[in-house]
Amino acid sequence: MLWAWALAQITVSRRLIVLSSDILAPLMVRIAAGDRLALRELYEATSAKLFGVCLRILSDREEAEDVLQEVYVTVWRRADRFDPARASVTTWISTIARNRAIDRLRARGPLAKADPIEDFEIADDQPDAETRLAAAGDAARLQGCLAELDPRTQAVIRTAFFEGITYEALAQRMGAPLGTVKSWIRRGLARLKGCLER
Amino acid sequence: MSAGPDLSELETLAAEHALGLLGANARAEAEARAARDPAFAALVDAWRQRLAPMLEAVEPVAPAAGVWGRIERALPANDNAAIRRRLRFWRGATAGALGLAAASLAVAVMLAARPPVTLQPPAPAPILNASLMSQADGAQPMFVAAYDPARRALIVTSLVKADSLRKPGGDAAHVHELWIIPADGKPHALGMIEPGKSKAMPMPKDMAPMFAPGSAIAVSLEPPGGSPTKTAPSGPITAMGMLDKI
Repeated sequence: MLWAWALAQITVSRRLIVLSSDILAPLMVRIAAGDRLALRELYEATSAKLFGVCLRILSDREEAEDVLQEVYVTVWRRADRFDPARASVTTWISTIARNRAIDRLRARGPLAKADPIEDFEIADDQPDAETRLAAAGDAARLQGCLAELDPRTQAVIRTAFFEGITYEALAQRMGAPLGTVKSWIRRGLARLKGCLER
Repeated sequence: MSAGPDLSELETLAAEHALGLLGANARAEAEARAARDPAFAALVDAWRQRLAPMLEAVEPVAPAAGVWGRIERALPANDNAAIRRRLRFWRGATAGALGLAAASLAVAVMLAARPPVTLQPPAPAPILNASLMSQADGAQPMFVAAYDPARRALIVTSLVKADSLRKPGGDAAHVHELWIIPADGKPHALGMIEPGKSKAMPMPKDMAPMFAPGSAIAVSLEPPGGSPTKTAPSGPITAMGMLDKI
């Protein structure tokens, strides 16, 4: 029953094709099949976005470029794992970029980026009006819900997300007791979920 | 604003893991838990999806012009995608026939173009190796295989936890069956490999040519006794890798 074997092999590509309004999704099918030109097209379409993410996390161009390279090589190897039912291509590859950049940041040491967080230092992640208009559905909703949290909670959630640092490191940088930081974040996450589900 | 209900302890852990708050040890524990507990994995996944849109608000910055060249040079020449491509190729009988015709033409051209060689004692054929990566996460080798042409034997080691296919206290519910997929993409059964065990499998003469660089070795999950069809896997492909010289 060769067809059974063949079926197992095509499940992957079928999963990629089904239900996709994402304009980048067809590229992922081609990348999964080993088409380098498709990877190049994906790079042209997304590298500035991903480099922005790497740079935001690492604050170092050279390291951010190293990570960017790793990210596209990872995408090349793992394109067949992409599931359009779960995330858009942009979200999927941005998440890979974030994880890789955070791994790199953690490798520097637990308090590598030790500038204190100002309570209200959140300006660089506040999208300007234009970005906010352009940001589609999910992003706008998340921004809206984050904006409902008090600024200090927003700041710790964003810092944790973009630096992947522990509660201990956060507490040290906020100059606040560990338990307090934990409760800010835990309450913040619960509220965030409540808001997103409204 | 409304406070929203508190998150359960498990969901709090999932959200903290997705946010990146856990230290190295706790993170490793959470990864391990996600691997064995689908409910926890689903919570982590849901939180990753909730938080990911934060990335969309980040300002794009163009990377230096040379980065693409570095990426292109770093791409592996051959990988699982290439094997799948070959397998898809084999699916259409016509395409397969065309491929065989093209391959034999290529061999004929190569033979015709081969320069005369001076007689030398034949070098011993090199041992071929393959790491069979998990098809679930791609990052973990689940089996390693080595083919020794001198002994005409395939040595396979299962890195899967012993008893992992066994019902608690009972018989094996499934078995791991090995397959070789040579360049034509057609699978051939090689036998079973028990979890955690290592074994040497002598190969009949007619199968030896299948063990060449670029042939894939795959493991499928099968009912006890192996694939009922005997000619192709009936269950999911657990792991796959390609034979190559060291």
